Amino acid sequence: MGESIVRQKILRLVMVTVIGLSTLFILFILSLTLGPVEMSFSEALTSLINVLKNGGRVSNINELIVYHIRLPRAICVIGVGIGLSIAGAVMQAIIRNPLVDPYITGVSSGAAFGVCLAMFAGITIVKIPFYTIPLVAFLGALLAFLLTMFLAEASGGMTLSYVLAGVIVGIAFSSFTTIFLVLGGEKLHGALFWLFGSFAYVSWKVVWIIFVPSLSLSIIVLLYARELNVILLGDEQAMQSGLDVHSFKRLMIIITSLLTSVCVAFTGIIGFLGLVVPHIARILMGSDHRILLPTVMLVGANVLMIADILARTVLKPVELPVGAITSLIGVPFFAYLLIKRGKEYVV
Amino acid sequence: MLYEGAVIIKIEDVTFYYESVKVLDGITIEVQRGEFLGLIGPNGSGKTTLLRCISGVLKPRVGVIYVDGQRIDKLKLIEVAQICASVPTELSSEFNLTVSDFVFLGRYPYVKGIWWESKEDEQIVEEVLKTFRIHHLADRKLSEISSGEKQRALLAKAVAQKPKVMLVDEPSAHLDLKYKLEVMEYLKELSRRKITIIAASHDVNLLSKYCDRIIILNSGKIVSFGRPEEVITEELIRKVYGVEATVMRNGNETFVVPKRPLR
Repeated sequence: MGESIVRQKILRLVMVTVIGLSTLFILFILSLTLGPVEMSFSEALTSLINVLKNGGRVSNINELIVYHIRLPRAICVIGVGIGLSIAGAVMQAIIRNPLVDPYITGVSSGAAFGVCLAMFAGITIVKIPFYTIPLVAFLGALLAFLLTMFLAEASGGMTLSYVLAGVIVGIAFSSFTTIFLVLGGEKLHGALFWLFGSFAYVSWKVVWIIFVPSLSLSIIVLLYARELNVILLGDEQAMQSGLDVHSFKRLMIIITSLLTSVCVAFTGIIGFLGLVVPHIARILMGSDHRILLPTVMLVGANVLMIADILARTVLKPVELPVGAITSLIGVPFFAYLLIKRGKEYVV
Repeated sequence: MLYEGAVIIKIEDVTFYYESVKVLDGITIEVQRGEFLGLIGPNGSGKTTLLRCISGVLKPRVGVIYVDGQRIDKLKLIEVAQICASVPTELSSEFNLTVSDFVFLGRYPYVKGIWWESKEDEQIVEEVLKTFRIHHLADRKLSEISSGEKQRALLAKAVAQKPKVMLVDEPSAHLDLKYKLEVMEYLKELSRRKITIIAASHDVNLLSKYCDRIIILNSGKIVSFGRPEEVITEELIRKVYGVEATVMRNGNETFVVPKRPLR
């Protein structure tokens, strides 16, 4: 064995963090160069450094664009990338099913229902028109989750009850959404864009409402990395190893549902990220959550950054919904994984 | 060696139901510290359920279980895990952890800091990996090793938990003859070091050879409880298993040779 196992793990963690942060930094600056006004990599970088040095005061047009339009978007992409991926990794671990994603508890369907209902009924909250959509989305997500939770607990609170309850609640809300979409016609065109997920409308106003909760909830999850390892043993053996499985799972389901709701509320339903990123991270670094979860965060941020860059450049000047891009990259990648590693691969 | 007076597990009149089916019926036992206790009985007689009650996973509505002097229903699972370690028949399913990751999970009840195990935890794990001769497999995935090696990894994890009591369900299920004996010898050795072993198995001969005392369960009741040579009789095998058998004795050892099932 030689070298200490724990020491080796810490080394691997440091290595993955350094690599992940460097690529993320490059992608981050790259995303600042993109848009109607062309900018080189170094121009974007110097504009960012200058404007940060001056505490947010802009002195030329490049700095204005970088600071007020592109920076908030890039930060949100990182926040949502981390949040959805962590939520997916945790759900896969506690439900012990590699095909589970963060939307399993019905939150995305609930959020879509909220948005469509509000648009259909023409509801705007007068004092805060800008926040109407995110707010109704968040409330819809929360409502769906509470229903799922209620159903699951009423049927015994087993893990499978959560999955089944989530599926039922999701289907119920989706049917309402479909009805609204059919009846609403033109009025709901905006809802479609939201449904596919997009960062186009992100500004400084919402950055902290996405980034701070997403990052802090993810960090709370990180603190439970050892418990997530124990849960891999299965419920009974996890209990015999000293973990209160029932209340731990409930806590994790609540945290990940909140995390998913926050991400979905502002940027819409971005598919596939929460499903695929945890798998990529597991293949790269194995299943020990102390290394896996930080890897998931970094891979999630990197992948969503790439998807957002592609969404803005592939059909320039038309911007595609980022959710469509994540699915487009996700599907062939996942198919490849299934064929290549399907037989040997487990959570 | 046996009766030094220290009772490690005391079970008082425990009755357990799955839904409305009575699985354990008025079980009362005292287990001594360092005793090697065998549980035998036909399928569905309640062996595994009894082990699960002692490990705190199941909570009987009737009766009380004391482990190491404390009522088990008053203890948190993590406190029970510091006293009792369970060795299941097999892993509940395949997963992606390495052998050393898995054995490290045995230290879960003890790690105080967040995240990383201490030097001491690491020493314990390294020692246990060597004892069970799986240290060369430390970095291999659990899903890639043989079933005999898996069985040893399961035992290693339980021993890394530094328990006072080990609850072993079918210790010999997937093992060939030599490993079977090795595992039993190792459990015997643990019991000499004052770790109490409670092992449930279908292998009557193997348990008779190694156990200090044997409990025979049938339909959730204790049918007989005592030293192997006292309790294993032709009449008992006929009554409990419905099998006609010859019981042979050679000094201290008892063998059951089954003949035919009774109609």
